[in-house]
Amino acid sequence: MEYVVTIIILVGLFVILAASFDLIIGYCGLISIAHPIFYAIGAYTSAMLAKEAGFPVPLAMLMGAGAALVSSILVALPSLRVSGDYLLIASIGFQLGLIELAKHFHEIGGAGGLTNIPPFLIREVGREAYAVLVVVIAALTVWFVRWMATGPYGRMMSALRDDELAFSMLGRNAIWVKVSVFGIGSAIAGLAGGLYAHYFRFIEPDQFGLLASSAVLTMVVVGGMRTTWGPVVGAIVLQLLPQVITFFGLPPSVLGPLQGIMFTGLVLVFMFMRPQGLIAASDLWRGREGGARHD
Amino acid sequence: MTDVLRIRDLNKSFGGIVVADDINLDLRAGRVLGLIGPNGAGKTSLFNLVTGVVKPDTGSITLDGQSIDALPIYQRARRGLARTWQNLRLFPSLSVLDNVMLGPRDYPGEKLTSLIFDARGVARRQAEERDRAHAILKRTGLAGVAQSRVQDIAYGQQKLVGVARALMNDARCLLLDEPMAGVEGQAYGAIQRVVRDIAESGVAVCVVEHNVAFVRDLCDEGVFMFAGKVLARGTVGELIADPRLTELYFGT
Repeated sequence: MEYVVTIIILVGLFVILAASFDLIIGYCGLISIAHPIFYAIGAYTSAMLAKEAGFPVPLAMLMGAGAALVSSILVALPSLRVSGDYLLIASIGFQLGLIELAKHFHEIGGAGGLTNIPPFLIREVGREAYAVLVVVIAALTVWFVRWMATGPYGRMMSALRDDELAFSMLGRNAIWVKVSVFGIGSAIAGLAGGLYAHYFRFIEPDQFGLLASSAVLTMVVVGGMRTTWGPVVGAIVLQLLPQVITFFGLPPSVLGPLQGIMFTGLVLVFMFMRPQGLIAASDLWRGREGGARHD
Repeated sequence: MTDVLRIRDLNKSFGGIVVADDINLDLRAGRVLGLIGPNGAGKTSLFNLVTGVVKPDTGSITLDGQSIDALPIYQRARRGLARTWQNLRLFPSLSVLDNVMLGPRDYPGEKLTSLIFDARGVARRQAEERDRAHAILKRTGLAGVAQSRVQDIAYGQQKLVGVARALMNDARCLLLDEPMAGVEGQAYGAIQRVVRDIAESGVAVCVVEHNVAFVRDLCDEGVFMFAGKVLARGTVGELIADPRLTELYFGT
């Protein structure tokens, strides 16, 4: 039972990550793959505040999301002022640099990882309650991204993605929209990080590296970018597939690389067979107010 | 007649290429000014300098008496400066209506706080802007294609979408970059009529156009540009009749 609950929690966390990443890369067209570093910032901030400073866990989690928000804005602001491409470079540099830094910081566990993170809900209520919490937050994230994407902001994100200069000439503040979306998506990832830390109670720098980036990117691409259910389907499929192959009794030395190959292979297969992902997005934006039925 | 836009001593060069050479120009409320000149004369560059797409080397620009030199593109637009583009620059992932709905100076819901804490207010204002967009689409003859994707409609209609989008700004000053290039038939008359209406409502309009007949019929005044310089200003008829300018224009 504990295994199933843990899988549900993992799937839920990746739904949160994939949906919030879809907001950034899919809807707003901001090219970055450093999403897991904001997951890490949320996880470490929340874990350290609860463990060392005695913060109540829910408050620590919110502070973790706040730390992800602030750091993402600091990364995005200078790079987005210049051109979209710099965000990719700046954010990968930030991700890899911070991971290396964390490995040498013994106060936060160093390369060996941070252990004995205070648990939340598990002892008082049970693991199932934690799973419910994660699933509820995942559902809220999916709803929130949809709400953003189908409202006035969604119209702006579509236009910004199409043509930033024409967008600005209409009086829209392109930098502000980009930084806001990047910040919101990253803050949600930070919250997911806190949820991860206080369930698994152990985090290490390496789990937030490029392999995690490729996993989240694969979920969004395979599931279907710019769709409500794409990241959900992508997260479920790509979390469950690696679980299935663990049942084949392969040695761990084979299992790890095999999962990496699977992610890459899936992206390649989808690129040729179904580039739009499992769930295809419409190429025309439709708002929720039903503009189509207006006249 | 009040000057809406004032350009003073504007200079810009890219390396050795001069695109603006001491330009002084005023755009007046209710008047349509035509910018005439051969390719490379600096007409579109002037629009880029005025809208903030390109920063001038020296010179100043005021809109309604206030300097806009330090303002980024979007803030110039919010002060009432609107333009269309030679190469359209419409948003292909949006319908005609949604392209136009992005045009108001103050777009409802652009502030996240109002989106979250004043959802009703935003919805009400969005509905108002939608009604206004429909009215503008009707005025520009695009009511029938409001829900179409922009790449599915005729080229002339696409040009009109650019104009309609700019009209949502309620601009004080409207810059039209080759509105007639590639346009024929119904859209031709529609653009002419709409531009005239806009000017009559007190907007300062400036048109870059190669179609001489269009410029002559529409513009109150013309300016002849060559190599980044304003060479002459007068009625379009006078400019066309000047053999010196004709020679520069046709390069003969």
